[in-house]
Amino acid sequence: MRRRLRVLVTGAAGLVGAEVTARLAAAGHEVTALVHRTPVLVGNDGTPLEAAGVRCLTADVTRPRLGLSEADHEALAGGIDRIVHCAAITDFGRPEEDYQRVNVDGTAHVLELARAGGADLVHVGTAYVCGERDGLILETELDEGQRLANAYEASKLRAETLVHKARADGVRSAVVRPSIVVGDEHTGVVRDYKNIYVVLKLTTEGKVRSIPGQYEARLDLVPVDYVADVITQVTERFDEAAGRTFHAVGAPLTLRDFSDVMAEYPSFQVPRFVPPTSFDLGRLPREERVYYERVVALYESYFRRRMAFDASNTAQLVARPAPGGGQDFLRRLIDHCLESGYLGAPLPGVADVLARLDLTGADVSGPAANDANGAGR
Amino acid sequence: MILSEEYLQSLLDKAYPQIRSVADCAVVLEGSIAEGFGNSSSDIDFLLIADSDADLPTMPSLLFVDGRRVEIRTRSVRQVAEQFSAVTAAAAGRPGAAPEDLLNRCQRLLRSFPLRNPELVAKVKGLMSFDDFQDTAREWWAHAARQSVRYALVLRQLGEEREAAAWTEAGLLQAVKSWAAGRGEAYLEPKWLPMQLDRIGDHPLCARYRALASLDVSGLDAADYVTEGARLTVDLGVTGAEPEAGRITVARAGAVTTWQTGERVHVVRGQQDVFVLGDRAARAWRSLVFGRTLEQTLATAQVAGVPQAGPLIAQFLRFGLVRAAWKGEGTIVPRMPLAAPSGDVTPPPSTARPVVGIGGAAAGGAEAVDLVPVPARRFSAAAMTLVWSNVLVENAREDLVGALDRGQWSVAQLSARRMLRFSLRGVLSAYAVNPLPPDSEVVRRLSLLPAAADLDEIRASAPSLETLTVACDTEGAAALAALDDFVALVRRATGAHSFPSSFGSSDGWRQTLEIGYDWLRLGAHLNADLPIDEASDLLSSGGAQPHATSV
Repeated sequence: MRRRLRVLVTGAAGLVGAEVTARLAAAGHEVTALVHRTPVLVGNDGTPLEAAGVRCLTADVTRPRLGLSEADHEALAGGIDRIVHCAAITDFGRPEEDYQRVNVDGTAHVLELARAGGADLVHVGTAYVCGERDGLILETELDEGQRLANAYEASKLRAETLVHKARADGVRSAVVRPSIVVGDEHTGVVRDYKNIYVVLKLTTEGKVRSIPGQYEARLDLVPVDYVADVITQVTERFDEAAGRTFHAVGAPLTLRDFSDVMAEYPSFQVPRFVPPTSFDLGRLPREERVYYERVVALYESYFRRRMAFDASNTAQLVARPAPGGGQDFLRRLIDHCLESGYLGAPLPGVADVLARLDLTGADVSGPAANDANGAGR
Repeated sequence: MILSEEYLQSLLDKAYPQIRSVADCAVVLEGSIAEGFGNSSSDIDFLLIADSDADLPTMPSLLFVDGRRVEIRTRSVRQVAEQFSAVTAAAAGRPGAAPEDLLNRCQRLLRSFPLRNPELVAKVKGLMSFDDFQDTAREWWAHAARQSVRYALVLRQLGEEREAAAWTEAGLLQAVKSWAAGRGEAYLEPKWLPMQLDRIGDHPLCARYRALASLDVSGLDAADYVTEGARLTVDLGVTGAEPEAGRITVARAGAVTTWQTGERVHVVRGQQDVFVLGDRAARAWRSLVFGRTLEQTLATAQVAGVPQAGPLIAQFLRFGLVRAAWKGEGTIVPRMPLAAPSGDVTPPPSTARPVVGIGGAAAGGAEAVDLVPVPARRFSAAAMTLVWSNVLVENAREDLVGALDRGQWSVAQLSARRMLRFSLRGVLSAYAVNPLPPDSEVVRRLSLLPAAADLDEIRASAPSLETLTVACDTEGAAALAALDDFVALVRRATGAHSFPSSFGSSDGWRQTLEIGYDWLRLGAHLNADLPIDEASDLLSSGGAQPHATSV
């Protein structure tokens, strides 16, 4: 039987953090769940996490000593064996300083804690620190002089570089790099509809009809449950994992896979994938341009990339087979979105039906302007 | 039995020398006469059972003895045992999974009459208990009945009441067969059902069934017939098909995809059949969201401007473009056992011509769910060729105008010929000719196209345009005017009048690109042949107009 560990999970209220917390607690470890504001943890399936052995601690990774008093910081440092650093801003389009504060400074502050208490660190990065490199991306590679697509990727590269440097000061660490985290491998269930989900919503509803991209471009979607399993394994088997990096990735889907699967849903619009050199933002209709600029433009680079992620370290350490499924997995994700009402033509209310009867022809399909971030559903 | 054992033995004696039999084999009479049914025209069905594990042929021998048709089948004991095991295994899996022929064979053997080697017959019958078989048959019929009645409820909700009544009739027959099987009347074919019910005797359910056996007999209107049918189905012991709001949902049909080009919606079935939807049909189609109830779907369609969308959705169901599901219990798969094999209906191909225009296939009206008369890949390839041919006509025209400006008469003459041939590529493509004949043949191959006023005019003008000479300003201006008229005629004839008329306008060019990308999307899905040179030009040109003049 494994030793009972004392683990601090940062970003424990987040999608991945909550699932990792649940797994560590279920495995009998003593978990301190570091949360920024709400001391309530909710699992990916939406149910509150009420596991024994989980203590919530309100703190702020952007501040020195995580915003704790010197004594509290010292006590925390002395009471943990491992830190799983999940806290990060993962959505796009924020001001650059936000990424610096949370993703980079936050990592520096977590490293200070690890150094102070001699705790081991499992740093959760992103597979997309590879930026716009093509070809096979190895787990052993980090800074290859790659071009980074956005401030998010740049901040995650800087953060991971800090983790590597801290090894020289004796902070033992392992890095887990998930790709694009989406719903459960078997049910498609997801708690938060962010990132790729917002793009799916805008395109399937026909709000964005043209996307600069190539049919052969690949997006790597990875189920949240698999990512949490990999992080948990790396945490528990840290002696084997120390000093190594683990890609937590899924089966890549091409834009053609997306196009073909989206076409299976009668109510969905399928976007045109236009060669990037032919795409002209200025020619989009005004409303589409707004959606494009506010959301889709942030993902532009992902619709061109054709890399594949090597996951040899993960395959060697983690018992669970890497997720496959390809188009079937995408169908499961979309089916769940239909079930939950996130995607699919909006259901008409009585007002809609009455509006249709009014022969003045009121338009019932106008998008709410504040829906651009996909939060309004 | 309507025939005596002596008579059967004598028939067997006469038949025996004509077949290759095995020593010590058992012989039984099976089928309707053995069941106690039958009449003077019924076949005599003998089954020979060899006490071995041989692979005996499945195909029966047909003999005529004493003016009667005698059918003789053969099975080894091993083959019989395998049949019984297969039925048992199927019954343990999905209800209704057992093939009907297998059930039929087992039932007939279990209820057969021994004529030779009764010990071996008893041994073989002992391989499966009739009670177990009876349960299997009851569940098998119940499954079919449940599906039929559910489908009837779907159709009624979609406003197709006569069709709903027909499926109720089928469902009731299946339900009463299930009920009868539970009482030992497990003979599979429905043709002796009246005698089976007579044998069960004076039972109120038999009377109720007889009164509802068909819509005509019932005297009810179609909608009430469905209600009464569903009620009797439950009373006959078949549950799971009770009318209940919100129970029926829309579900995915495998390998069906939707592709819109411009405003036209195409639905591709199995990567092979293209259905083109008229405007109302398209809006009803776009209202379908998997997992939503029929009530919600009809309301969504109404908001989309299609009140009474039911019959359109029923048509989508018939063609296998979408399925209905019983919430929590999967897709509804109606079938009529021991009838013609069921499956998705395919309508006759559309006769609308030309087959395809720039903006999509021709649809015969707002409610159309028309089958395009060519396979999907060829349709897609022809459509892309049509789009590119129109682009190329514009290129060639620009070359022609440029050459005329500079007095380059040979270049002008060649450009004029290209303009003609590219426009004819469009004509042939609009009629789904694909791959195209070589450019040198396109004028002659107009003979492939049907007679029609526009086409006759094109056929009449093309040969002279192909031999135009351009050697001076006057001839050049005349050629340009003649070709412009011809292109206008071609575009009228091929429904390409919506094609951006001026490539000088950036909006026109954007529209061209968008239509091109719409078609490419379908082409990529089908792995269709792209008009590769032209397409790759378009894709790599960065949206710039090919041959755009820089002055």
